[in-house]
Amino acid sequence: MKRLRALNHKAHLLEQAAQDGHKEEVQLMSSVVGCTTTFDPGWEVDAFGGLASLCQPMEADLYGCTDPCWWPAQLADGLNTARDWTEGKNSALRDWRELQTLFPGD
Amino acid sequence: MKTVALKKARTAFVALCCAAASASGFAAEYLLTVTRPNNLHIVDPAKRQVVRSIALPGDGVPGAIAVPKDGKTAYVLTNRMESVIGVDLDTGKTVFRADFSTPERRIKGFFAATVSEDGREVYVHQAPVVLGRSEYKVEDTYIAVFDTSDGMNAKPRRSFPAPRRISLLAPTGNPDHLLALGWDMYLFNTKTGAIEKTFPIRHWDRPGIGEPDVLAMWGTFEQARALSTPYYVAKTDVAPDSPEAFKAGLAVFDLDAETLKTIEFENAQTAMFSSVINPVARNEAFLVMNQLTKIDWESGRVIKRVPVEQTFYAVNISGDGKEVYIGGALDKIAIHDAQTLEKTGEIMMPGGADQSIGWMRVVKR
Repeated sequence: MKRLRALNHKAHLLEQAAQDGHKEEVQLMSSVVGCTTTFDPGWEVDAFGGLASLCQPMEADLYGCTDPCWWPAQLADGLNTARDWTEGKNSALRDWRELQTLFPGD
Repeated sequence: MKTVALKKARTAFVALCCAAASASGFAAEYLLTVTRPNNLHIVDPAKRQVVRSIALPGDGVPGAIAVPKDGKTAYVLTNRMESVIGVDLDTGKTVFRADFSTPERRIKGFFAATVSEDGREVYVHQAPVVLGRSEYKVEDTYIAVFDTSDGMNAKPRRSFPAPRRISLLAPTGNPDHLLALGWDMYLFNTKTGAIEKTFPIRHWDRPGIGEPDVLAMWGTFEQARALSTPYYVAKTDVAPDSPEAFKAGLAVFDLDAETLKTIEFENAQTAMFSSVINPVARNEAFLVMNQLTKIDWESGRVIKRVPVEQTFYAVNISGDGKEVYIGGALDKIAIHDAQTLEKTGEIMMPGGADQSIGWMRVVKR
């Protein structure tokens, strides 16, 4: 904490709460709920260091991951923040070209 | 007009099938599955066709499906895992709806939804998050109990605390018991809410064996009355670069005997997502992802493995143990012979819509 300094009111409150022992406990959410606690590496490599156990084709796994918010770093969070990302595009195999890139402001 | 006529014809078709099955005393089997954006499908596997499609109300995407013993109503988890919709399979009408969330509190049920065998109660493992103006507050998880006679706008009649990370629920042969699969398996008493017994999985204490990794998101226990899931586990008493260092196994919970068996059956070499027990030859299990694998889980060996044409998430089986159904992910259910594992048929989903995370259940009528 030596390199962190509270600058605004909320930060001061947090700092004070921590000093007074009133800091609320932070806990992980339930598995893959709102959003993920799964830290899978993604599609680059499978559990055996190869490619054979990745989903085939990749599109087979596209909605299977965005719908339950499995890999939010790689895909839109279909459970919460990007519910309309796939709207009207119900076949990943045929519609993937229409899926748009998301940015933090979206 | 054509659509109406077609719908009527399909309704009659399903009704006729059910009537014929009842008259002969032989239960016909149908597959239930779901597709995006929010549809439930009744599939006749013998005819290799979808016989009825039902649009579910509200926002998708549908996933878990649960059906009581009488096979009359399907309960589907949908609306971004924030609602359970009950659909009368004969009329296609929505007869039950429970919306979990409020504007202040977002409540998800991650796959873990089921119905009692008598069809009176729906159980959902719920994870609530209070949505503050500048913070989210995670609340404790619990199992909510709904009375199906409450119909639309149903609210929980009661609830009881439950551990986090529950992804499957299943009623056992004891009408007061509910099995929950999370890090371990928990046997709940639904009347008292107490965990009567814990079957350790993550917390098992097995010398030379690490903590297993389980991906259990598909309920496929209705045919053999056995909830099963593949798992992967490291052996800690061999060299890390040994072929023996990483094993694939199967956990099987007998829903009538309320017993759990786990067994490693091979050195891990491929991923498998879901499994189903053969109701006729109960020592056999079928597992699927990029291959269809048949194992003898009592002796712990692979019997046969064949590649399949694409990734399939979900597996199920016919009541006579002769046909294996694989679906989920994309827009197809493939049918394989349980003996040879050769593909014998396929059923395409209407409109080419993806099943995604959808389950595939067998219902007898």
